[in-house]
Amino acid sequence: MTETTTGAPSLIVDDLHVTYRVFGARKRGVAGPTPGALTRVLNRARGHVGAVTEVPAVRGVSFVARHGEAIGLIGRNGSGKSTLLRAIAGVLPPTSGRVFVSGRPALLGVNAVLMNELTGERNVYIGGLAMGLTPEQVSERFDDIVEFSGIGDFIYLPMKTYSSGMGARLRFAISSAAVPDIMMIDEALATGDAEFRRRSAKRVAALRKDATTVFLVSHSIRQVRQICSRAIWLEKGVVRMDGPVGEVCDAYEESVS
Amino acid sequence: MSDVREVGLPAGRPPGEDASPDAASLAERHGLTQIGVRPGLGAYLRQLWSARHFVTALSTSRAYAKNSNNYLGQAWAVLNPIVFASVYFLVFGVILDTSKGIQNYVAFLVVGIFMFRFTSSSVTAGAKSVVGNLPLVRSMHFPRAVLPSSAALTELATLVPVLGVMILLVLITGEPVSWTWLALPAVVLMQYLFNTGISFAAARVMASARDLLNLLPFALRLMLYVSGVFFSIEHYVGNTPIGLAMQYQPVAVYLTLTRASLMSEFQVAPTLWLAGGLWALLALLIGFVVFWRAEERYGRD
Repeated sequence: MTETTTGAPSLIVDDLHVTYRVFGARKRGVAGPTPGALTRVLNRARGHVGAVTEVPAVRGVSFVARHGEAIGLIGRNGSGKSTLLRAIAGVLPPTSGRVFVSGRPALLGVNAVLMNELTGERNVYIGGLAMGLTPEQVSERFDDIVEFSGIGDFIYLPMKTYSSGMGARLRFAISSAAVPDIMMIDEALATGDAEFRRRSAKRVAALRKDATTVFLVSHSIRQVRQICSRAIWLEKGVVRMDGPVGEVCDAYEESVS
Repeated sequence: MSDVREVGLPAGRPPGEDASPDAASLAERHGLTQIGVRPGLGAYLRQLWSARHFVTALSTSRAYAKNSNNYLGQAWAVLNPIVFASVYFLVFGVILDTSKGIQNYVAFLVVGIFMFRFTSSSVTAGAKSVVGNLPLVRSMHFPRAVLPSSAALTELATLVPVLGVMILLVLITGEPVSWTWLALPAVVLMQYLFNTGISFAAARVMASARDLLNLLPFALRLMLYVSGVFFSIEHYVGNTPIGLAMQYQPVAVYLTLTRASLMSEFQVAPTLWLAGGLWALLALLIGFVVFWRAEERYGRD
């Protein structure tokens, strides 16, 4: 790693808040004085009409990430990790707060963003274009992408025939083909087998050398320790701890066990 | 030490307070740009233009994927409009007799149904293009106008085999091939641009008020009845003020223009061509601006 490329800020998050509106759900009211019959009927109806609940998922997060850094986001289920990742990737508009980035962040999620009915080949093409590559660049890198994904002739079959691990391999191969300034990986490495995890860890290391900032959301603390240099521990939408990966992971594991 | 403290960003500021100037100045020093900010109209158009390959790839793939789930596969792209036309012909040409004032009723009906479907399915697809693709919106970074554009383009791609069937049926019913047929691509282009504009507007409206999606089928059904798909507006309503308004509303204009180019019994005034062009421009312009104004908010619930 060279000093000129690493160290300079690549992403600044300033007091970020994200609140979801959830349709078709309403919180049960707290127990109070017994309401009258009419109020009860109205309340019951309100659970089905205009039922919208606001869920604050990220509540005031601030940090600075630097070029060449690999940051693990850890925390329990529902602590706001994925939401934070989406908001800083710019794909989920924040409720308030600001995010500054260099270049265009690439987000690699578990959900199939690609099209299941189409062949892997077609998906490589569409995914590459979606990331801002030109058609020529996609054709150029096509062989590399397929080679890295290691799914062989399955590339010519529709993606719905893929196992979840194969889909994850292909998506990872597509997303890392463009060498983005910031790459965000949301649980996408969890479904792969041991060999794929080794390959992807190597690819992440190579990306970091090229000054890419890598974010990793994972429930595998071992994987976070292996890949990341820094960790941010989220709890209920706020940063509980931010620092070197060893310290934060130790503290997190202590609190969980 | 944590980077947060180093640059002087207090971690737990109360919500609603203005973002700190420190973050902005630090970002400026290192050439970072704020994300989630709506670009200017010109910049946005340029972004959309550079995403054009993505739009076409998405559209053709979607059009292909529609028919990839069964044995006959892409043959359904042609079979579907044939079956569709047969149903309408059976009901309106054989069982009911609504052909008043029209010599070649089968051709009239086929053109009406197919071209109306072109607009109605574009509007439906456009309306759902953002709301129905939230996973895509939330995982990739691209100008959101790609989605309604590609929805309208998918319908254009679907229309190509339909146009083939339509021309074949028009020929079978005894229409002579004529020079006016050359005007067909121009009509289709105008209608496509109109559809794109409406898709933009519909996508924005549905993204901010998704309940309206439930009312969309009724609006389209109303459109079907006032656009002269099954009957001649001129014959039934005549040249009264209401009749004229019905004849010059955009969908009716495109149906009439298509019929005028394919069927020898219809001639149209040049004002109708002008109306067709103006509707297309107006829809595209207003629709695009309406869509752009919420660019930074798509993807939020």
